[in-house]
Amino acid sequence: MKKILVVDDEENIRKLYKEELEEMGYEVTAASDGALALAAMDAAKFDLVTLDMRMKGMDGIETLRRLKEKDSAVPVVISTAYEEYKHDFGSWASDAYIVKSADTAALRDAVKKILG
Amino acid sequence: METTDKAELAILSEISRISNSYIELPQKLQRIIEVIARGMEKDGASVFLVDRTGKAVTLTAAIGLNQETVGKLTFPFGEGIAGWVAEQKVPLALENPFSDPRFQYVPETGIERFKSLTAAPIMDEDRCLGVIFVLSTAPWSATSSDITLLTTTANQISGVIKGAQLFQNIKDRLAELATIYEIGMALTSTLDLEQLLSLIATNTTQALRAQGCALRLMNLSGVRAPATAAPARYVSDAVRDVDARLGEAVAEKTAREGRPVLVEDAGRDPLLVNAPGAPPISIISVPLIFHDAVTGVIALYGRQGDRPFSEDDLQFLATIASTAAVAIENAAMYERMEDLATEARTRAQELAILYDIGSAMSATLNLDRLLRIILTAATMGGTGLGFNRAMLLLTNERTNTLQGMMGVGPASWDEAGRAWGEVSRKHKSLMEWIQTGELFEHRDSELNALARSIRVPLDHGEGVLALTVLEKKAFNILDGASSPVVGKELREALRVNSFATVPLIAKDKAIGVILVDNMFTMRPITDHDVRFLTMFAHQAALAIDNAIIHSNLETMNKDMRIMHEQLVQSEKMAALGAMMAEITHEIRNPLVSIGGFARRLARKVLDEDAKKYIDIILGEVTRLEGIIHDNLSYIKDISTQLQPGDLNAVVREVIALYDDELRQRSIALVKSLSESLSPVLIDLQQIKQAVINIVTNAMEAMENGGILGIRTYPVEGGREAAVEISDTGPGVSAEAMHNLFNPYYTTKARGTGLGLPITHRIVKAHRGTIQFKNKEAGGALFTIRIPYGPGRGA
Repeated sequence: MKKILVVDDEENIRKLYKEELEEMGYEVTAASDGALALAAMDAAKFDLVTLDMRMKGMDGIETLRRLKEKDSAVPVVISTAYEEYKHDFGSWASDAYIVKSADTAALRDAVKKILG
Repeated sequence: METTDKAELAILSEISRISNSYIELPQKLQRIIEVIARGMEKDGASVFLVDRTGKAVTLTAAIGLNQETVGKLTFPFGEGIAGWVAEQKVPLALENPFSDPRFQYVPETGIERFKSLTAAPIMDEDRCLGVIFVLSTAPWSATSSDITLLTTTANQISGVIKGAQLFQNIKDRLAELATIYEIGMALTSTLDLEQLLSLIATNTTQALRAQGCALRLMNLSGVRAPATAAPARYVSDAVRDVDARLGEAVAEKTAREGRPVLVEDAGRDPLLVNAPGAPPISIISVPLIFHDAVTGVIALYGRQGDRPFSEDDLQFLATIASTAAVAIENAAMYERMEDLATEARTRAQELAILYDIGSAMSATLNLDRLLRIILTAATMGGTGLGFNRAMLLLTNERTNTLQGMMGVGPASWDEAGRAWGEVSRKHKSLMEWIQTGELFEHRDSELNALARSIRVPLDHGEGVLALTVLEKKAFNILDGASSPVVGKELREALRVNSFATVPLIAKDKAIGVILVDNMFTMRPITDHDVRFLTMFAHQAALAIDNAIIHSNLETMNKDMRIMHEQLVQSEKMAALGAMMAEITHEIRNPLVSIGGFARRLARKVLDEDAKKYIDIILGEVTRLEGIIHDNLSYIKDISTQLQPGDLNAVVREVIALYDDELRQRSIALVKSLSESLSPVLIDLQQIKQAVINIVTNAMEAMENGGILGIRTYPVEGGREAAVEISDTGPGVSAEAMHNLFNPYYTTKARGTGLGLPITHRIVKAHRGTIQFKNKEAGGALFTIRIPYGPGRGA
């Protein structure tokens, strides 16, 4: 079973993503900020990470950089309320960029496309 | 012998008596020779007197001779018996004179009647004054006592002549004094220069019995230039031709030398050798001297009678001239004063006019109105400049041309008469005319059209209009046909041959031209008119310059205001952008949760009613996400996804959304959706948003309930579909009306002020229109019109 790490500082989003992705058959771990996400990466190996951009403490761009230092091969899907991070070169290291929506179809499509 | 002595005594005592009588010399001489002839018992006697030349003797009194020869018969010294005796100064007795070689026979004198004669010179010391003759019809051999008696008598006559001459001199002197006095009186009687000159000329001509007079004055400006060419001021008709030939030379000599000049015979005088065919007349010429300076020359021509002007005459004229010089100077000064006073009066009047015009011009900064004031002033009589027609042209720096701006003036004699008649009847000031209306039909006048059609390039500097600007000088064209600077085209366009142009100069720059003419009155434009027009143009130019500057400033000010508003706008936009980013973040996340879990719920709940409610939740979440997206799009561009849609369906959806709220607010809905409305190319989400924005506005406007009207209809011609939304609220204030579609303007306590601007943008993105008006019955009415595809208008 493939493992996904969901990083988001909104509890309800973490809960929604976890339920939606588990329903698709993945094992999901959630982290509420960048530091916790990096710690989770140390504890286990993940097949995919969904990453929020604006978070308290370490932001998404910084988390993405450090995360890739630990495991440059892990695919990252940026999931954010902002459209403009798309143009931030720091986000180019990600494998997909979706704008958060009540309709999680975009997220599910991006994950399915990466993990098959 | 005794009888002879007695007779001698009788003769001499008789002569004494005669010489003391108060009769004129010729009569005395006549009486004396009568006494002699009788006393010597002879039939004839005569007296010849030396004439003025001193070189001839003339018969002055005679008995026994033809009286008609008296005053005419003349013998030069040495000729004839009379001439011989006068020259030799000795008595002569001839018993038979006709055989004497000295005798000269002059027919019709009556001398042939006589046989013998005796003559004696009339001596004054050693000077001969004349000759006395005693004639005898009988042969007579004069005795020595006869000769002695005649010589004695001659001495007596000498005394008589000298007495008479003395008397005559005194008489002449008195007459001269009287004349001088009279002339003096006459000269102080007038200050009119022309009249004075005429008086001087007439009086001197009469007093000196001249044929005519010429009076020349130096220039009257007070500058005492050397007397080379003194201008003639008075020449009597009698001597006009003579003066034309000789006057200059004589006057020039007189003035240069500052002394009197006497020309005895103009035909022979060396002064006048260069004057061809100078007549043999005499001339006296005297300088008029005032304060040691020659102010003019007075000359008299051709003394009447036989003799030329004498030194005495010259002296006399000089005496009169000294009085005349003072009188002329006084009159000249008076004339100058009067000229100055007249000029001052004219100036004052002109200044008053300019002041009047100036205040009229300063009353406006509107260029069109200003030009009309200027041209009205130029064409108005009385308080204006009084030209018939006037045109104004201004330079265009960009195209470097002179461009006709306006023309003012009557189109016909009829209009001219009516307008100018009205001006003189009503006594209105320029200001009043301008305020109460125009003098001439202006706007559509032919002249105005003509003026506005004129375009003159300034590159070549050809033609009077361009030259007026380029050379910054006025032109007074008296004869356009012969003027090298007036083209045929201009003359034919103006339909006049005479006109004037003056430059409009402001701050040393020629900004245009005023052209005037007197097409109807044909009054020639004088140099004075042009000078006055130039002064006027100067003032007009400043006013025009001010108006142009003001207009530029106004435009600039407006531009700056707009720029400032735009700046404020973009600052607001930037602020909104930042704010929007925050809102997006804060709202998007909870929406994701709400919508995400609602979807999960929908998948799990089987109850149909619950499913319906969940669908509403999902619909609204989707709409909210759309709004967030649109808000961001407002800052960026709205990209519309056009597809055929039903406007009625959009309206129904909106109504369904607000059904409950309308009821809560006690707002009645009146809808009228057209059945014949065909699908139109729209972005459903955006149009729905547009309608929602207006509907929410309408609901909020009706705080205490009311009626919401929604209507759809195809616009006449079928090219557009329309949605009309009305309320019964208070309507929109005038201030709010201007800001209706401006972002952030809001009259509501709560609201972003983005509603209507977004609606506006959406409609514009659909290439549609949105209109607003306050209904007459109260309340607002919005109409959105969306075109049926790009082919509208085809």
